[in-house]
Amino acid sequence: MTGRACTPGAVLVAMLLLAASMAVALGIGPVSVSVGDVLAVVARRLNLGAYDVSPLDDQIVWQLRLPRVLGAAAVGAGLAVCGVVLQSLTRNDLADPYLLGISSGAAVGAVTVIVLGVSFAGLVGSAAVTAAGFVGALGSLVVVLALAAGRRGSLSPTRTVLAGVAVAQVCGAYTSLLVIMTGDSDAARRVLTWTLGSVAGLRWSSAVIVSVVAIVATAAFVAFADQLDAFAFGETSARSLGVDVNRVRWALMVGTALVTACLVAFVGAIGFVGLVVPHIVRILTGPGHRVLLPMSALVGAVLLVWADTIARTLVDGQEIPIGVVTAVVGAPFFAWLLRRTRERS
Amino acid sequence: MSIAAASVVAMTAALVLAGCADAPESEPAAVSAADSREGPAFPVDVAACGHTSTVETAPERAVTLNQGATEVMLALGLEDRMAGTAYLDDPEPPTRWADAYASVPVISKEYPKREELLAVDPDFVYASYASAFDPKVAGTPKELDALGVASYLSPFGCEDDSLRPEPSFEAVWEEIEAVGSAFGVSDDAAELVAEQQDVVAGLADDAAGAGTTVFWYDSGDKTALAGVGGGGPQVVIDATGATNIFGGIDGGWEDVSWEKVIAADPDVIALADASWSTADDKIAYLEKDPVLSQLRAVQDKSYVVVPYSQSTAGVTLVDGAASLAEQLSQLSS
Repeated sequence: MTGRACTPGAVLVAMLLLAASMAVALGIGPVSVSVGDVLAVVARRLNLGAYDVSPLDDQIVWQLRLPRVLGAAAVGAGLAVCGVVLQSLTRNDLADPYLLGISSGAAVGAVTVIVLGVSFAGLVGSAAVTAAGFVGALGSLVVVLALAAGRRGSLSPTRTVLAGVAVAQVCGAYTSLLVIMTGDSDAARRVLTWTLGSVAGLRWSSAVIVSVVAIVATAAFVAFADQLDAFAFGETSARSLGVDVNRVRWALMVGTALVTACLVAFVGAIGFVGLVVPHIVRILTGPGHRVLLPMSALVGAVLLVWADTIARTLVDGQEIPIGVVTAVVGAPFFAWLLRRTRERS
Repeated sequence: MSIAAASVVAMTAALVLAGCADAPESEPAAVSAADSREGPAFPVDVAACGHTSTVETAPERAVTLNQGATEVMLALGLEDRMAGTAYLDDPEPPTRWADAYASVPVISKEYPKREELLAVDPDFVYASYASAFDPKVAGTPKELDALGVASYLSPFGCEDDSLRPEPSFEAVWEEIEAVGSAFGVSDDAAELVAEQQDVVAGLADDAAGAGTTVFWYDSGDKTALAGVGGGGPQVVIDATGATNIFGGIDGGWEDVSWEKVIAADPDVIALADASWSTADDKIAYLEKDPVLSQLRAVQDKSYVVVPYSQSTAGVTLVDGAASLAEQLSQLSS
């Protein structure tokens, strides 16, 4: 558990693991493409040589699978680092990226578009769902922060969590009511599918956006590593170590919320990654954020790449929501975590 | 020819299977057979989903809940025997029965409350989905029996799915015959069934879809909800002799991977048209997506459009098949 000593080694191993996972995952899917063909498609697209590639293989590997594999990795990384930051900021083991009601707010926007079939900001279909989800998430963030902020602009973790719960409840009531009241025979199904999340719809344009968001977020949060380490000893200690507690807390709360809002808008509310991965990585590398953050990003990425691979292959020819897969993996861990915290307290 | 033969075998098999799986269903068919020979004779028993109602005299104040049940009544010309109807799935009633539909009082837009239903003094309640017999809506069939109100639930809507027949024309016809016997109009029911049988036989002879692969695109974007091997869409596709690219998957509709669609590269894409997912929306999505727009059927604009209600097991299923066949022959000409 000597964090700093094993940094380069552990991170390097995790990077190799991610690269290998992505390469293997590219070859796995409902339509079988041989490893050689996968390599040929990628090599040809990267201008590494004139390989003979069938248009079908190119479409499946490069146009369909690579964006979703890349997107899954980025979403996994983004959610995991947001989970790390929020758990440290609130000193709450059960904090996850959806703590501030982000997913519920996004659901309000997305479900409105899905159920009422309205266009949003001139967009229709899945683009409208994405845009409305993002705006909904920002809306809930503003309300949560307004409720949580103290008189002198302080942001108490407890108030923030409670405000998040309140907003999530109201948003949940709205989405349930909307589905029940207007529910045509298909609405409930599509809402459930959105809620459980899927990276199946990611194409290059959206995969690039979530990848940039995840990389920028990880880098930005690593820049706050020392402050986050100080938070681990409590607010008073952090203050005595020279951390501007309130400013850092605001910056990171808003930062994680924006990242989460973006990811949720594209892929829905994929659960458990942001909760579970930080705990796994803490066990592996210790609590130092300089290692914890990049390692969480990599482990989260690997986890979602495999979760998505299972989602598209478990039932032949059919897609199951990725949230179901992460829940099946995450729930037992969550239970164990609860037991552990109970024993400790 | 071999495809026509195969579809006959498949339909026969479906009929046999439906008969085996669901013992209670054979009763109304038997009654209706007796009726056609001897004329209307009451009381008759109607049975579905494990419940048998005795219809003492020919119902004059029937209430239908759900569009499928309403359509069967209108197709049999029974609108003057109806005291009310409720809950269309589509925004508008089917145009062909618009006048008949307009002559029936609409009790409520969706399910009526139990009091609203009983207020019209019904003597028969006929519904498509088990949810209609919720205690808050019509009440359970037993409760209705106690009030002297007979009831019938479409076998496709049985709560116990082991009692639900696999969608097929034969199962639709059995429902029509059961309703016919309950209202003492078995001859009309037999005539309607014979008409539909002629249409289906004609479609099998034409085999407009022979040698054509079809992807039945119901809804969805990240994944596609496709018509697969055991639902209304499959029956409609089979009737034209075409091949469903997802015919090997069990169930009525399933989420499928776009990868499989790309790999199968179907000749034709059949689009279900529904208020919640219109055919136009789906065409726009297919043509905008960088990958799906490369599908052969999208490039050639080989689309056929079938109203969603004609892809569900009901009296208009045969219209879906006829419409698909006609559009397929237009595409190939």
